[in-house]
Amino acid sequence: MLKKTTLNQLSDLAFALMEKGTLVAPVRQNAGFQFREITDAKQVDLNFHNTVISPKSVFFPQTEDFVRYKTGRPVQEAEAVEPQGKPLILFGVRPCDVKSFEIMDIHFSGTGAVDPYWQARREAATIIGYAFDVGAPAESEEFYQTLGIGAADPEGSDIFMVRHGDDLLLKSITGRGEALLAGIGGLTGASADDEKYFDDTVAAGRDFKTRFTCVDAKAITKKLEDLFHHTDFWEKASNACLSCGVCTFVCPTCYCFDICDETLFKQGTRRRVWDACMFTDFTLEASGHNPRTKVYQRLRQKINHKYSYHVRKYGVISCVGCGRCTRYCPVNIDIFSIVEEAMKA
Amino acid sequence: MRSTNPYIPMPVEIVKITDEVDTHDIKSFRFKFLNAEDESRFQYLPGQFAELSIYGKGESPIGIASSPTEPGYVEFTVQRAGAIVPGLVTAALHDMEEGGKIGLRGPLGHPWPIEFLEKKNIVVVGGGFAFTTLRSLVKYMLHGDNRSRFGDITVIYGARTPGLLCYKDELAAWEKRNDIKTIITVDKGNETWKGREGFVPAVCKDVAPSPANAVAVICGPPVMIKFTLPVFFELGFSKENILTSLEMRMKCGIGKCGRCNVGYKYVCSDGPVFSLAQLEELPRDF
Repeated sequence: MLKKTTLNQLSDLAFALMEKGTLVAPVRQNAGFQFREITDAKQVDLNFHNTVISPKSVFFPQTEDFVRYKTGRPVQEAEAVEPQGKPLILFGVRPCDVKSFEIMDIHFSGTGAVDPYWQARREAATIIGYAFDVGAPAESEEFYQTLGIGAADPEGSDIFMVRHGDDLLLKSITGRGEALLAGIGGLTGASADDEKYFDDTVAAGRDFKTRFTCVDAKAITKKLEDLFHHTDFWEKASNACLSCGVCTFVCPTCYCFDICDETLFKQGTRRRVWDACMFTDFTLEASGHNPRTKVYQRLRQKINHKYSYHVRKYGVISCVGCGRCTRYCPVNIDIFSIVEEAMKA
Repeated sequence: MRSTNPYIPMPVEIVKITDEVDTHDIKSFRFKFLNAEDESRFQYLPGQFAELSIYGKGESPIGIASSPTEPGYVEFTVQRAGAIVPGLVTAALHDMEEGGKIGLRGPLGHPWPIEFLEKKNIVVVGGGFAFTTLRSLVKYMLHGDNRSRFGDITVIYGARTPGLLCYKDELAAWEKRNDIKTIITVDKGNETWKGREGFVPAVCKDVAPSPANAVAVICGPPVMIKFTLPVFFELGFSKENILTSLEMRMKCGIGKCGRCNVGYKYVCSDGPVFSLAQLEELPRDF
């Protein structure tokens, strides 16, 4: 099903979506665009390239409570905060970020123990993807095409949107998307020209050039394994790194977390918070032993995790080429340049 | 029906505390489940671990020291950490008394490969306080229902001093049995010590267990493991038949939080038990 509206009527569409569930969509903020829960339909703004923080936070919030407790009270009185999946519509997600959900699903709910919080939110969400503008060049940090992701891939979205001038085309991709799209009033039917424009955009997205040539996951996995002990290579690569961790926080596929207790005036919360393998004490053990005290060891861990360990464990590279880590790195470390250098080393 | 959420601890009560060593910083805590449902769900095998959870302090992953052949409780031997980093959970636990209540999440990780060990001669080598999950294994194998499933059992256990040996009563009982060969050693004895003196690797060389149809299960401080492994190579044990258990900093214990990886393996959910053959495939990042 293909429907159409205009960008002038975006807030009408947002308003209609808000009636179907919690709407999370790009909002313009001082630091850049961010996905936010929408309280006023006029906040939704599609004039963005991509958000600063990836939309993973919708399913895996930066902090989330597991247990609420009171110190000095019996342990049985602690109150578990069980996962809740309330109907949610995630609107305006770029194709590379949509792909990240699939990669995270393998880890959080597809293999081994199931993370009930991730799973509950994922199952209750409808994803409305949004094609990059294939008429404009990609931003210099992006390399999703390198990883086989098109600029307008509808796969993984329930509904996929393509902008056509001042029009917005919405096509249902899944049954869930079709049900949602059918239930939204105020949209007009699409013409045969619109159908063609949508399909042409998806096709153009597949050929859309981002940086670099394609990488073979198996080859890079092996190469990084062989390079593990080449300390010189890793020291050079990490020379400028500040261990600030911003690359992991903006990343759509970084999932490391800490579980910590925070108590204030005897009221406490056990919660999960994002953590980063770039931090010194990430692997500090109670004995005092720490296998990764040096910056190069931590950067090596991060890159090997994404391009080698994850491939060995789950069969896919844990990166979607969104370019956020490079864009927001305060010392201009470019993850893909390191991978490229590794292939040549 | 209680939560099956893997992040939510089950409440347990401390029913027995044993002061294991003369430095009083290693104690065994025996716990009873407060909910019968939790107890029946907590089905474990030797080599697994659990997260001990104290609200306001945090969680610590600790190997299970009791054997599933001892119903009604689960026991952990815990060292008070804090010499270098603040050991919040272990310190709080050490300060608790019998009747105190904490939380427990588990069982976690893979056990010693019991089926693989069956019908083989087992050489258990432990050093210091790392003997906990080996004690679980020995108790399991010695149980009347299980003893005939295994061949000869040899235990080589060492500590720095006689006062630092854990489970002293059990060791004495094993020494009296004729279905297990128990060799106890200390790095340095004292005036009352009548047993062996010598480091674990040297004692292993001296005892020289036969590699024929045998598996060595080794746990101890890194320095002990480093010098003990070559001894077992020289004796002719294959890398597949040398098992050990790794430690890394952990949080979730279920392979989700990304903290305890060595290469592509998570120590919590892919381990903590690894054969030497498996370890040699991993980068030296632990």
